[in-house]
Amino acid sequence: MMWLTWRQFRAQAITAAAALAAFAIVLVLTESRMASMYDSSGLLTCHGGACSGLATTFLVQLSSGQGVSFIPFGANVYVIVYFLSVLVILVAPAITGIFWGAPLIARELETGTFRLTWNQSITRTRWLTVKLALIGLAAMAVTEAFSLLQAWWAAPIGKAVGLGGGASIFSEGRFGWFVFPTHGITPLGYAAFAFALGVTAGLIIRRPIPAMAATLAIFAAFQAIVPLWIRPNLFPTSQTTATIAASGANVSLGANPALTLTASIVPGQPGAWIISSEGVNAAGQRVSTIPAACQSAISDGLGSHRGTTVGPDPVALNNCVARHGIRVAEGYQPASHYWPLQLAETGFYLALALALAWYCFWRLNRRRS
Amino acid sequence: MIEFHLDGRSGVAPYLQLIHQVRHALRLGLLHEGDQLPKVKDVAAGLAINPNTVLKAYRELEYEGLAAARPGIGTFVTGTLDGGSLAAHGPLRRELQRWLAKARRAGLDDESIEALFASTFRSASEEDIA
Amino acid sequence: MTAAIETEALGKRYRTKWALAGCTLFIPAGHVVGLVGPNGAGKTTLLNLATGELAPTTGTIEVLGNRPAAGPAQLARVGYLAQDAPLYAGLPVADHLRLGAHLNPGWDADLAHRRVERLDLDPKQKAGTLSGGQRAQLALTLAVAKRPELLVLDEPVASLDPLARREFLQDLMESVAEQEVSVVLSSHLISDLERACDYVIVLVDSRVRVAGPVDDLLAAHHLLSGPRRDPASLPAGMEVVSASHTDVQTTLLVRTSGPVLDPAWTVSEVGLEDLMLAYMKQPATRRHHLEVLK
Repeated sequence: MMWLTWRQFRAQAITAAAALAAFAIVLVLTESRMASMYDSSGLLTCHGGACSGLATTFLVQLSSGQGVSFIPFGANVYVIVYFLSVLVILVAPAITGIFWGAPLIARELETGTFRLTWNQSITRTRWLTVKLALIGLAAMAVTEAFSLLQAWWAAPIGKAVGLGGGASIFSEGRFGWFVFPTHGITPLGYAAFAFALGVTAGLIIRRPIPAMAATLAIFAAFQAIVPLWIRPNLFPTSQTTATIAASGANVSLGANPALTLTASIVPGQPGAWIISSEGVNAAGQRVSTIPAACQSAISDGLGSHRGTTVGPDPVALNNCVARHGIRVAEGYQPASHYWPLQLAETGFYLALALALAWYCFWRLNRRRS
Repeated sequence: MIEFHLDGRSGVAPYLQLIHQVRHALRLGLLHEGDQLPKVKDVAAGLAINPNTVLKAYRELEYEGLAAARPGIGTFVTGTLDGGSLAAHGPLRRELQRWLAKARRAGLDDESIEALFASTFRSASEEDIA
Repeated sequence: MTAAIETEALGKRYRTKWALAGCTLFIPAGHVVGLVGPNGAGKTTLLNLATGELAPTTGTIEVLGNRPAAGPAQLARVGYLAQDAPLYAGLPVADHLRLGAHLNPGWDADLAHRRVERLDLDPKQKAGTLSGGQRAQLALTLAVAKRPELLVLDEPVASLDPLARREFLQDLMESVAEQEVSVVLSSHLISDLERACDYVIVLVDSRVRVAGPVDDLLAAHHLLSGPRRDPASLPAGMEVVSASHTDVQTTLLVRTSGPVLDPAWTVSEVGLEDLMLAYMKQPATRRHHLEVLK
């Protein structure tokens, strides 16, 4: 059965190997220059507060085109490679789920070859066990390989961000919406789930193309819903209140006079994941409108200046709101929860994958037409 | 070794056709005592018929004393048909040829000759039984 | 006598329609059994129940004494060739043989290779580019080389040209002669079955109309023709299968265990094809008194 699984999987394995090779080549070609830039940035020997300045400089330099660009029109190769590689990792589980998982059973049902293979001297259970194990593990390995390769390539960036480098396009922390799912062990969970989802869809729908579509739709839905509603709630959220200044928040205007405060720092919790931030008054109640007195700060700043319209003066607005006793209530997960969150989310997806697999075994053995 | 053929539309059961062909071959001198009959497997494969049909024919021949099976080797001819070979019936053959010539002179075509012969033969057989 | 397939009041229903109903059969081992009936009669349903692809709605079925597809050992005892000979289009002939070798402990590699050589199949040719006859032959090789006790073939020659059909049946008969294997094969063409089968089951409108060894069936059925008469006036023990009348003459196909003594009838034998056709033309509403001849 292992031979048959390999033989039927051979072409897909070769495609995956080629994709991994191409990915690796692109990363290798662009890695050395970035590594030498990092070495000459002074970040290796910096101490304390000086580091974040150097880190920011390095990241800005990397992302603004002062690095070597191989691509014409001034496009910056590091930005492109970074985001393309992140995209590949995000998409890899879906690809394996759709192209490896959905046709697994559906193609056999559609072409009738199940009548050949499931009447040889092996049971359907054994057939499915070997197929799920070998190909599922391959899907997980491939996705994780992409992730590990990218992590190797982006190590300088990660170190710079960790040392406090901000204000660049690379500066999303480990909890960033495209960073968390592409690093660590979460890709394993996604790959397992997408594959199991594909196989299940193929078993129920019985035709490969519709099964592929269903797999894509459901997987995409999960990947949208989990970061929004499940990931933040895997552990109880910690709460703290900070001044507007300390939280690095900016007052931004929703539909005037609605007040929105977007914090970017939790004082005393470097690297924390900020889940929510809102304005609260001295008594701790939620404040959602800008105090009337500060309305003038908005209109003072508005008006034409040499013929162009400028927005409200942000510093004045922040100060005005702060003077009215409004602070920022932040909900966050501390940096120390990174690996527990990784494990919890991966465990969640793996549990789903196992449940789907169990369902497939049950349904496969239930004799129907 | 003789080769069998089957007429699917003759209405005669296949095993009987096989038996007839063996007897016919014996009469014509194509088969002699001690000759091997084709293997069951080869007959079944050659004619696309059930091996049991061939076995049934061979068993019937054994029962009639014309053949005997040697396990693991094959089935062999053991007997001859009485009446000797056709060659011994020279006078009967000549009489038949004369009758045929007469029938043609009377204007009968082939089909009429066969029909006349068949019905006469049948009624004569029935009289024999009765 | 051991049974190749034994069923008791077997039935299969899809939503509201019964694909097979009230099927009680004892198919003895050691025969080539022909399952014949018009399209939609339930032949594929019965065979799918025998291979375990379907589960019965009512009744029971046992194959070689066991529940169908009960485990690897049971699966090894039954070789199956599905309709239209499904094969992996992208896999070459040689890889199909490897499939058989890897998935069947009882695989006879010599037999498989001899057959493929004799059939002149190119081992490297992909199965999707083979002709219909070659696909059927390859599928038969896969079914036969695992050395089963029972071969189940679902309309194996339905879509083959006459030459391919003849070659397939020749091959099948050779396998039957060489290995002691029972065969159940279905067809909607009776002529395919006449030479090959020594046991016949007629299935019409999801019910078994008649079943038994060919020789016994032929011996028990007669065609009676004579002056016009009411079939009900026949003596007991004589079952009328089909009747046709003109203003002066009645022709009956009857089934009887004894000789026909009434001198008013001209008695003649019935060919297998006419016999099966007569049963297939019977109206469905007629109560069927099924006697399986053992």
